[in-house]
Amino acid sequence: MYQPFNPKVNVETPFLFFTGKGGVGKTSVACATAVSLADQGKKVLLVSTDPASNLQDVFEMELTNDPVSIPSVDNLFALNIDPEESARIYREKTVGPYRGKLPDSVVATMEEQLSGACTVEIAAFDEFSHLLSDESILNTYDHVVFDTAPTGHTLRLLELPTAWNGFLEESTHGASCLGPLSGLGDKKRAYAEAVLSLSDQEKTTLVLVSRPDQSSLIEANRASSELRDIGIQNQMLIVNGLLQTYQPDDEVSTAFYMRQRNALKVMPDELKEVETFTLPYVSYALTGIGNLRQWVSDDPLLESALNESSIDIEKIQLPKLNSIIDDFSSKGTRVIFTMGKGGVGKTSIASAIAVGLSEKGHKVHLTTTDPAANLAYMFHDDGTVKENLSISSINPTEEVEKYKQVVLSKVGKEQNEEGLAYLKEDLESPCTEEIAMFQAFAEVVERSDDEIVVIDTAPTGHTLLLLDSTEAYHKEMSRSKGEVPTSVKKLLPRLRNPKETGVVIVTLAEATPVLEASRLQEDLKRAQIVPTWWVINQSLYATGTTDSVLQGRAVSEKQWIRKVNEELSHQCALIPWMHEEKIGYNNLKEMINA
Amino acid sequence: MKKVEIFDPAMCCSTGVCGPSVDPDLTRVASAVYSLEQKSFDVTRYNLANDPAAFTDNKEVNQVLHEKGADALPITLLNNEVVKVGNYPTNDELAKWLDVKADELQQKPRVVVPIDFN
Repeated sequence: MYQPFNPKVNVETPFLFFTGKGGVGKTSVACATAVSLADQGKKVLLVSTDPASNLQDVFEMELTNDPVSIPSVDNLFALNIDPEESARIYREKTVGPYRGKLPDSVVATMEEQLSGACTVEIAAFDEFSHLLSDESILNTYDHVVFDTAPTGHTLRLLELPTAWNGFLEESTHGASCLGPLSGLGDKKRAYAEAVLSLSDQEKTTLVLVSRPDQSSLIEANRASSELRDIGIQNQMLIVNGLLQTYQPDDEVSTAFYMRQRNALKVMPDELKEVETFTLPYVSYALTGIGNLRQWVSDDPLLESALNESSIDIEKIQLPKLNSIIDDFSSKGTRVIFTMGKGGVGKTSIASAIAVGLSEKGHKVHLTTTDPAANLAYMFHDDGTVKENLSISSINPTEEVEKYKQVVLSKVGKEQNEEGLAYLKEDLESPCTEEIAMFQAFAEVVERSDDEIVVIDTAPTGHTLLLLDSTEAYHKEMSRSKGEVPTSVKKLLPRLRNPKETGVVIVTLAEATPVLEASRLQEDLKRAQIVPTWWVINQSLYATGTTDSVLQGRAVSEKQWIRKVNEELSHQCALIPWMHEEKIGYNNLKEMINA
Repeated sequence: MKKVEIFDPAMCCSTGVCGPSVDPDLTRVASAVYSLEQKSFDVTRYNLANDPAAFTDNKEVNQVLHEKGADALPITLLNNEVVKVGNYPTNDELAKWLDVKADELQQKPRVVVPIDFN
């Protein structure tokens, strides 16, 4: 099958970018690679740009924005850029000098405008490009290992010609979302060089990290083609956490093994073209330099010496999915959102909640925005789509296209050619997608007058805030144009009302998904939306497996289950890892009581 | 020459297409300003999010902001005098101030090709 990943022979370029969605183990793979390269006598700089990074835990020391030497590994240096912190510093630099000079209400609107996703993305890219284009970095280090690559979106943004020319000529019309960039306008050359380094095969390798499961392989494929489109051709794939053997007498272990192997068999064809390596599923935690070294060595020692005391028998007792369904059913909740990062199983949870509520006799509509989740497929097996359960899906690409057409037909007529070109460029912004999706949400939520609406994936806190401030703005101006559709106007108050709306945050019992979910919760709080439930999905701990490798992982889940249950959630449900993907009405019904 | 300055609220893009809905007023203004610039008129827009210094440096604007707060935006100045608060100027107003025809503000600029009959 695939070769095990060995940094000693598989790394050829000075720059390495590790990318992949949250929870796939990017940080572990990047750290292990950096340690292994340093052990060979190469001088290595490890850079993390993940705000949820546990780089500090891995090396058991504080890291900063500047490289510091890791005492326990010769030749290894690390720095940790928190893009949200960079964005905050940038925002403060922009806004700070005007506190006191401009009225508070004015300063507040500036801050809000600079709180968007774009500012964070650009701030992160700014840090990247410094490291990529600074000659002295390449003279100092043999390898620079980045944990998290810039997204295709950031790179495209920087390529928009009018945007840059606009700034350089100090035109008054910059394209959208470049607000944050304007303060960095003098860095055009550095950015251009950074983009050039990224696409230079001699300099940069893009390492896609994925779990051996379908959704994360699909995500890796998406990132792969997006980044290939903008010239980053030199790619490799690392399938992280491949279970090497299984215990035939342990059902969980057998099913776990089979699911992984099957996912690899149906890997997207395009991704099969990318050179692929694997790293094994091990029972020990991937923290501490010793463990990381072991993991990428010739003998990764799959089973840890789990002593009896580390598997304590005390069980954490938490509600099942049926408690959530009972709760919503008895309270008469009309709109239910499942939120969380990709790959945590939101769609299954949303589907199971919808099935559960329809079983209780409610009329339910279920919809998703996850392009990878085909609801028709979720329910295909036995054709038992019940009369009181309907399904639909919101396709982001289609919604954005629809939205663009509406805008262009509404205002495009009055524009001349160049004006139209400007407008089209503005419409390429990430905001457009957020807004388009938001309107689609609003439409579907309207249905909750007649039935319970379950929505898989939610508008971000940023969009909600944007809506809120604009609505207030419209109100103050007492504009009668009423350009905000009624469905959108009604949406925010509805989402804020816990009697009408329930938000379910879905996570796995692992560091990154939990930390990311907690940030999502904070974001929602800013928009005055408080999640009702948390669901910890796919828990090995809850299966009671006796597989020697899997058990190690089950034990490490405990601290995250505790954190969610005791610190983060009001109410929390725990769902065991399932032997098979739950497809079809009857299988979803089983999940409810699992 | 007459000078028009528009002080925008903090926003993402000056065409207004990235708000929760398209504000046709913003796209109209963006288009009008663009047309005026093409005709070499002295028209400038300042976005609070990108260019806050313009809002403190300009005495008139600063004063209006302190009196009325963020809701006073957008503010329009004609030759350094406040002529519009809380709303964008209409095309007719812009045309009157700058002495152009209103419909020229949404037309594609025509290039006059001189023809020499000799």
